[in-house]
Amino acid sequence: MRFFYLFLFTALFCAAPSQLSAKVKIVTTTEDLAALAKEVGGDFAEVSSIARGYQDPHFVEAKPSYLLKLKKARLFIQAGLELETAWAPALLTNARNPGILPGRPGFMDASDGCAILQKPQGGVDRSMGDVHPLGNPHYWLNPENGRTIARAVARRLSVIDPDNAGGYKANLGAFEARLSEKEKEWDALAGELKGIKVITYHNSWPSFAKRFGIEVVDFIEPKPGIPPSAAHVHFLTGRIRAEGVRLLLVEPYFDLKLPKKIAAQTETTLVVFPPSVGAEESIKTYLDLFDRQLKLLKNSLGKGK
Amino acid sequence: MRSCTLFFAALVCALPAALRAQPGGNALQSSNILNPNISAVGWLQGEAGRRSGVSEPPPAFAFKEAEIAVQSVVDPYTRADLFLAVEGEGGIELEEGYLTWYSLPGGLSLKAGKFKGAFGKFNLTHRPETAFADRPLVHEAYFGEEGLASAGAGLSWHVPNPWLLLNLDAQAFTLPEAAEMPAFDKARRKDFLYIGRLGGYYDLTEAANFALGGSCAHGAAGREFNPVTVSSSTLSSRLYGLDLTLRWKNPRRAIYRSLFWQTEFLWSRQEITAGSYKNTRGFFSHLEYQFARRWRTGARYDWTQFPGGGAAHESGGLAYLSFASSEFSRLSLQGRQVKKADGTRENLGFLKLIFNIGPHGTDPF
Repeated sequence: MRFFYLFLFTALFCAAPSQLSAKVKIVTTTEDLAALAKEVGGDFAEVSSIARGYQDPHFVEAKPSYLLKLKKARLFIQAGLELETAWAPALLTNARNPGILPGRPGFMDASDGCAILQKPQGGVDRSMGDVHPLGNPHYWLNPENGRTIARAVARRLSVIDPDNAGGYKANLGAFEARLSEKEKEWDALAGELKGIKVITYHNSWPSFAKRFGIEVVDFIEPKPGIPPSAAHVHFLTGRIRAEGVRLLLVEPYFDLKLPKKIAAQTETTLVVFPPSVGAEESIKTYLDLFDRQLKLLKNSLGKGK
Repeated sequence: MRSCTLFFAALVCALPAALRAQPGGNALQSSNILNPNISAVGWLQGEAGRRSGVSEPPPAFAFKEAEIAVQSVVDPYTRADLFLAVEGEGGIELEEGYLTWYSLPGGLSLKAGKFKGAFGKFNLTHRPETAFADRPLVHEAYFGEEGLASAGAGLSWHVPNPWLLLNLDAQAFTLPEAAEMPAFDKARRKDFLYIGRLGGYYDLTEAANFALGGSCAHGAAGREFNPVTVSSSTLSSRLYGLDLTLRWKNPRRAIYRSLFWQTEFLWSRQEITAGSYKNTRGFFSHLEYQFARRWRTGARYDWTQFPGGGAAHESGGLAYLSFASSEFSRLSLQGRQVKKADGTRENLGFLKLIFNIGPHGTDPF
């Protein structure tokens, strides 16, 4: 009985301080959204993400430990467009935090207002693979969309935490200034990459490719989420040779065995290409991500034919 | 002239409806948005071998069940989940149907309707979605074919603490009869089944985690008539459970390799006659290894006595190899041997095919 009272006392003691924390707790589904929220939230916010940058965001396990994070959050930000549909709704429903449920100020879908590519026209079904019916969800890979997301985060934080609205506005201004400077650097780098043809493993890169003038010729997956067959690999090797593809870009969470084989057969350069903040240890901010991606492409082209 | 007026009036009335019915019209779009999520899981199964002690063996190949799920938020406070099991032989049963109030203060949530009891973890998984063509022997012996489910209400509480995720469930159900659930037997209309579970979850590393839970269920086990006092009394049945689940999956290679181990123990104390009890027990242990993106193999060991029975027990094992052509369909070849309580052995082979259509589901964790 003594143990029971001790347990109950600890439980009640632990329940209280979570509501008294001064910083706004923000939980995001991906590290990219967390990086943008950190830029805007600065010292006023405590930001964490559920998926790590080296994880495939489609296949994150809905671990109960994430509920502890969500339970204390005042703002939840998701990429949306059904990227996290296999795990985020279940976590939100079970987090017992009504303030971050869809429709409440504490819920934010980062895709709102962003330029979304590949919205399917006409009917969509699973004969197309694990297709996203609302458009390609890897839209954060266009820095212009990063700017849109940061602005939306600033607006939302100003509603949730109006006392620090001025601070959020200042942080956003500083971030936008740095982003604009970086974009000039990136445009200079991308000039050398314009028109290069690449094959990617998954259809993760339309926003990135469009922004920096890269041509994605085909995918190692025949359809989203469907492992490649021998016939598709045969077709792909023919296409790589016919189209003069120079690089094979593979997200870090895919097995490299088959891409290595294709690269060896077609004399293309295989690049393990980071799709998110945190995919590599050195990529700590949203701006680091594009720095790393563009330099990696440039260096890889130098290594090729 | 009158017919022209009628025609014109009919046209005017029909026009707004025709406009509303245009594909892509706003009214149509908004009605689609508010539709609940509807999905279905189909379960086809083949069986080879001879079942002992069964007068009507199942067909060699059958559409066992189609599970239709209809799920939606009802209003800002509640969501509704309905799961209809359409049996291959034609019957339709409400497998689960409940409302959940998820906006309660203090880390509480309330559930009411027909749902699966929080006794262990395996009981919460719907039949088609389990890795097995059958159910663990201990579950069949104590909870019957459908598992521990009934109409009732339950409160769930995330117990705040600094160490791990701790959840406390307290549930009350109308008590089913022994034919449905052998561990209990409804004696009177007002008999209830009470279930409590304390479950903890802890991340050992980024890739490995474990869950440990203790469950208790209490209900009636029929009535006994005493001819001396000319009165009757309700007999009681109590179950205790312990469940352990260990998972491993490297998040950097999440789709290629994983390991899953689940073991559940059950102890039963059932009143046979007033003041006289029979203690029985059982357990199962299931290990599964995913060795490639589409391939998994697993095995389960079973040992169980029977509720209110003596020392007689059954034991057995099941092994399987499964292939998933995509996230949404899985084919599994399984073999099972059971040593019956009378010492005879039963060998069965199964082919289980399941498919999922509709919105993504989430694996129960």
